[in-house]
Amino acid sequence: MRHTYTRFISYSFFFITLLTGCSQSSTSEKGQNSESKKLVVGVSMLSMQNEFIVNVHDAMVKKAEADGVELITVDAERSALKQVEQIESFIAQKVDAIIMNPCEVEASSPAVTKALAAKIPIINVNSETSTKPTAFVGSDDVESARIAMKYIAEKLGGKGNVVMMHGYMGQAAQIKREQGAREILKQYPNLKLIAHQTGEWDRAKAMSLMENWIQSYGGQINAVFAQNDEMGLGAVKALTDAGLKDKVIVVSIDAIPDGLQAVKKGTLDATVFQNAEQQGSKAIETAVKAAKGQAYDKETLIPFQLVTKENLAKFLK
Amino acid sequence: MEKDSTLIKGGDYGGIRIRDAGKYVLLIVLVAICIALAMTTPRFFTVQNLMIIVTQVSINALLAFGVTFVIITGGIDLSIGSIVAVTGVVAASFAHPDTYPVIVPIGVGLLAGLLFGAFNGFVVTRTKVPPFIVTLGTMTIGRGLALILSKGRPVSNLSDSFNFIGGGKVLGVPTLIIILVVFFVVCTVILKKTVIGRYMYAVGGNEQAAKASGIQLSTVKMIVYTLCGGLAALAGILLTSRITTGQPNAGAGFELDAIAAAIIGGTSTAGGAGTMTGTLLGALLIGVISNGLDLLNVTSYYQQVVMGIIIIGAVVLDSLKHTKNG
Repeated sequence: MRHTYTRFISYSFFFITLLTGCSQSSTSEKGQNSESKKLVVGVSMLSMQNEFIVNVHDAMVKKAEADGVELITVDAERSALKQVEQIESFIAQKVDAIIMNPCEVEASSPAVTKALAAKIPIINVNSETSTKPTAFVGSDDVESARIAMKYIAEKLGGKGNVVMMHGYMGQAAQIKREQGAREILKQYPNLKLIAHQTGEWDRAKAMSLMENWIQSYGGQINAVFAQNDEMGLGAVKALTDAGLKDKVIVVSIDAIPDGLQAVKKGTLDATVFQNAEQQGSKAIETAVKAAKGQAYDKETLIPFQLVTKENLAKFLK
Repeated sequence: MEKDSTLIKGGDYGGIRIRDAGKYVLLIVLVAICIALAMTTPRFFTVQNLMIIVTQVSINALLAFGVTFVIITGGIDLSIGSIVAVTGVVAASFAHPDTYPVIVPIGVGLLAGLLFGAFNGFVVTRTKVPPFIVTLGTMTIGRGLALILSKGRPVSNLSDSFNFIGGGKVLGVPTLIIILVVFFVVCTVILKKTVIGRYMYAVGGNEQAAKASGIQLSTVKMIVYTLCGGLAALAGILLTSRITTGQPNAGAGFELDAIAAAIIGGTSTAGGAGTMTGTLLGALLIGVISNGLDLLNVTSYYQQVVMGIIIIGAVVLDSLKHTKNG
């Protein structure tokens, strides 16, 4: 039921984007190398409603401006079907390279196949497709959850009860973050996962979920692992309201500004920083190299970093 | 004149009798589920947990009250989830500490919602476009506006006084529960005790008859959509206050939960019938099930299936009653 509406929203929102978003779709004219042909890179992003993705894109724009590359950005609004169509239109426009931030592992794969068939280099940024692209720039989501869960394990001395909040079930990030968390849990047999449930990446939903968990498990919960900061902050709010925050460790992933502020206040114990800036600029760098036929890395993995009160200053801008 | 009044009266009386029966069925189902949960988990039937359920239900219930008005007149409003986002972002923008007194974000947020609702009403009454399509459009517009106003990022760092309205407690009772009770009474009075409330039933029951008896259709519709927008704004402000941040993507799908609450509560999608008590019970049922399944640690996959079955069950029950009476 909800999906039908999402489809409706996506289509209608597309028109709004056409009306309002034109200003941002084409960037940079300061071509220092205007005598040589300016490179055009087509960019299809998963969702420009997501803060992290917006940050990755901002970094791309910055890097593209510096390098005198023209970007054509489109928003796939989480629809793989739309994304494939967007890549087709990039191919028709004969862009020099394509950067895709895939919506789905399987459903976005045809886009890669089509670009490769048209001999246009395609670079996947941030997440993967099952068909191997020209190059991949991103981070390994499994690693982020390992870092988060490891922090919890160490804080608790390898012993205690943990609850986990999932993102949307079945999304690549959810699957990988769950996988990473479970890997660490396996290494600590005394660390028990007593409940796990989806908070749909949403702060309000996570808050309600945490309230319900507090009712059913009360003082038994020693730590919360939330698969993103929004949910982590929802859990923090519920725990604070229940007067339990001092007794429960909360760790999440993404290091969004709100998350960093919470780490500063000491309400969120730790978050894991995914480097949007590096992902964006490396993606442009790789696209340019591939388009010019220079040597490039087939896979660029940007490492995650654990953010706690101790090293917070580095991440606060 | 005589003929007109019997028409309206007839629909009204018949409607209430049938609805009352439905209301009791719903109440019995709700109580039965509560007893079942209380027997399964000792954590369920505690004052604290019941308060949490009502708190969690309150935002959906406020939205459902608004949409009940609209559905009673035979309309629908799909834009309320987006109104939650727009008004939440708008209110949050005026709610930073040491800027404006707390009344300003509340006032501006409510005004935004009322205007949004009035716009829905305006388009619905001035064009022949069905409300489903109009509000589908404004739902998208609203979502876009929320993203534009917030630049796609959550609006955070809100003042303590603003965070109190949806997250505080008065004498141990969460503010959300108090606000829910107040607006439940207000909405019930509007629907049951005022002329405009009776007109809503009349318009939804038989639009032509209502028109023939001299009711200004467009005025009634303008009022219900504006009311609905206002209640959605209230929900948006309270949600923002509860999670201490204005989220441009908040409220997505809320319209469906609210409509579900109204329909489970016996509001007829054909218009002309429905009560605030029914809607409140519908919202409580959804909340109890979701809370209970969380307590029992049932995965969300099953939660969705259960919820869907209940929605269909409610409508089937409703149609059975109609065939029996008709």
